[in-house]
Amino acid sequence: MPSNPYRRMRRQMVAVLLAFGLVPLLAMGVAGYVANRAAIETRTRNLLEAMVKNRKATIDLFLEDRMRDLELVAASFSAEALTDEARLDALLAQLRREHGGIIDLGLIDSEGVHRAYVGPYNLRDRIYRDQDWFEHVMVQGRYESDVFLGFRRFPHMVMAVRKRDAGRDWVLRATIDTGMLSALVREGGIESGAEVFILNRAGEYQTATAAHHQLMARSDLGPLPVHSGVRVVERRRGGSTEFIATIWLRGGAWVLVARQEAPGLSQLLNAHPAVLGVFIAGLVLVPLLALVVVKARLRQIRAMEIERASLFESAAQAQKMAAIGRLAASVAHEINNPLAIIDAQVGVLSDSLDDLSGVGEASEWRARLAKIGAQVDRARKVTHRLLGFSRRLGPDIEPVDVAAALEETVSFVEREALASSIRIVREVERDLPLVRTSLAQMQQVFLNLINNAIDAVGAGGEVRTRVRAVKDGVEVTIADNGPGIPPRDLERIFEPFFSTKSGERVHSGLGLAICKDVMQTLGGRISVASTVGKGTCFTLWFPLEAEVRDVGP
Amino acid sequence: MSDLRLLLVDDEVEFLEPTAARLARRGVECTAVTSGEDAVRELEANAFDCAVVDVKMPGMDGLELLRRITRDFPDVPVILLTGHASVELGVKGMELGAFEYLLKPVEFDVMLDTIRRAAAMRSA
Repeated sequence: MPSNPYRRMRRQMVAVLLAFGLVPLLAMGVAGYVANRAAIETRTRNLLEAMVKNRKATIDLFLEDRMRDLELVAASFSAEALTDEARLDALLAQLRREHGGIIDLGLIDSEGVHRAYVGPYNLRDRIYRDQDWFEHVMVQGRYESDVFLGFRRFPHMVMAVRKRDAGRDWVLRATIDTGMLSALVREGGIESGAEVFILNRAGEYQTATAAHHQLMARSDLGPLPVHSGVRVVERRRGGSTEFIATIWLRGGAWVLVARQEAPGLSQLLNAHPAVLGVFIAGLVLVPLLALVVVKARLRQIRAMEIERASLFESAAQAQKMAAIGRLAASVAHEINNPLAIIDAQVGVLSDSLDDLSGVGEASEWRARLAKIGAQVDRARKVTHRLLGFSRRLGPDIEPVDVAAALEETVSFVEREALASSIRIVREVERDLPLVRTSLAQMQQVFLNLINNAIDAVGAGGEVRTRVRAVKDGVEVTIADNGPGIPPRDLERIFEPFFSTKSGERVHSGLGLAICKDVMQTLGGRISVASTVGKGTCFTLWFPLEAEVRDVGP
Repeated sequence: MSDLRLLLVDDEVEFLEPTAARLARRGVECTAVTSGEDAVRELEANAFDCAVVDVKMPGMDGLELLRRITRDFPDVPVILLTGHASVELGVKGMELGAFEYLLKPVEFDVMLDTIRRAAAMRSA
């Protein structure tokens, strides 16, 4: 049998089952994912928005505080007092104690000369006259710088306020440690996993972030548009989506940014481990089930194919034998008639020779005629044997010793039965009448039933046969001590194609149907009795004189 | 002197003629005809102790003739003779009342013996 159609059938069946199993599962998964993602996205947006608002307040407060400190100092002391570096140093120490975050303090005169300075750098007498910020503070009254690294590569910003004293302008300048600012900003992102930082107008980092962004480096976001209030946007980055919440600080000088990746598949699944479990179990079980089901179905189909093929083969074989039989019969017939004529002619010549006893050649002629007669005889035997062969296809009625016929059949199978430790016990009544029936067909029935019994009992079982004379005939029983047949199956046991047998041998389910057919043809009867767990017994009855019903052409 | 009158029916003249001659030699008075119709005419005209009938013949075949004889001339035993040996045919012939069923080519002595037995049964 070619394996290709089976492989294709298997592929198709598996594909169909997979589609039926996996499509709803995947659809449910996708629907769940979409619904969940929308919910989580909304939550993320709200969270980011709340976070930047909250941080903005904190940062504003921080910067405002520093500026107020500076203004307070400027307002509280005279320029003269502030040029005294010892006083200035005491002030710086007090400010540091109270708030921290102030690194140095200095007083600059209206010419831009750093007249007094306390702090870690040597900035006294530096001249700021030409610097933009100096001009800015002289005009605006206050100044806050962006963050810069300065001489010592360390992030800081400058705050300055103008002070009027005795008709002269002074500038009080302080350097603020923005490390504290970074810490304040970062704090906001810790609970949500978001990245929070400040950019200036040019899009440069003003605070360090958890990631490795260099302070003052250009952010990948670039310069951001100024807007009022909070804005949350969605942006593709790499393979994923991120949410970016922005709020502007210090009148548009800085922007506070919180960015967070949109929830990915893995986050969603982590949020619902049970759903993930069901999904994965489905993904594994559906194909597994599909394979198991397909395998079982294919095995069934293949068994059916084999059964059909063997049925077809035996039917074809029977047809072939019947055709050969018919051919043999017609050939024999065509030859028999000429043989009869030759025989008759030879007979007449032999008779005539008796009248010619005086002729010298008579004895030689007689010898030659005898040889012709012998050859006719030889040909007759051939044709009669051929006709005998064709006759075997139809019932050949003759007196049969039923016990001997059964014994002969048993002897065919006994060796095989003994090999499986199956005992065959015979019980024969004396003085049985001869039965006029077809020996071959009777033996076919015996063979079928004994083989069935041997199959039923299995190793170590027992098969009992009994032959006895009954009214108008002979009865044969063939019993086994096998598992028996349930009543439901027993009703159908003589139906064609019904079989309870399974296993490696292929059964047509025709055996008992044929037995029944043969018994009817011979005018006999077949019946069965069975008890589950005890065994099965077939009873055959042959009439003394077979009334052959099915007379063929 | 013939002790037995036989009607021999076969469409093969080549078989009929020598067989009739041999039987006549052994005291069987043979009337040989080549068809069932001729056989019926002979039976109507003359009395016979036995009939040997070939089964396969054109026109009225052997089984048909057998039916006619058992119906119209029930005291004439019929021996069927054929080259076609099918048991069914034999069984059917016996059922229709044939005395015996012989297979061609039959040994001459067997045929003669069968004819004598048939005739003897009739006179008994």
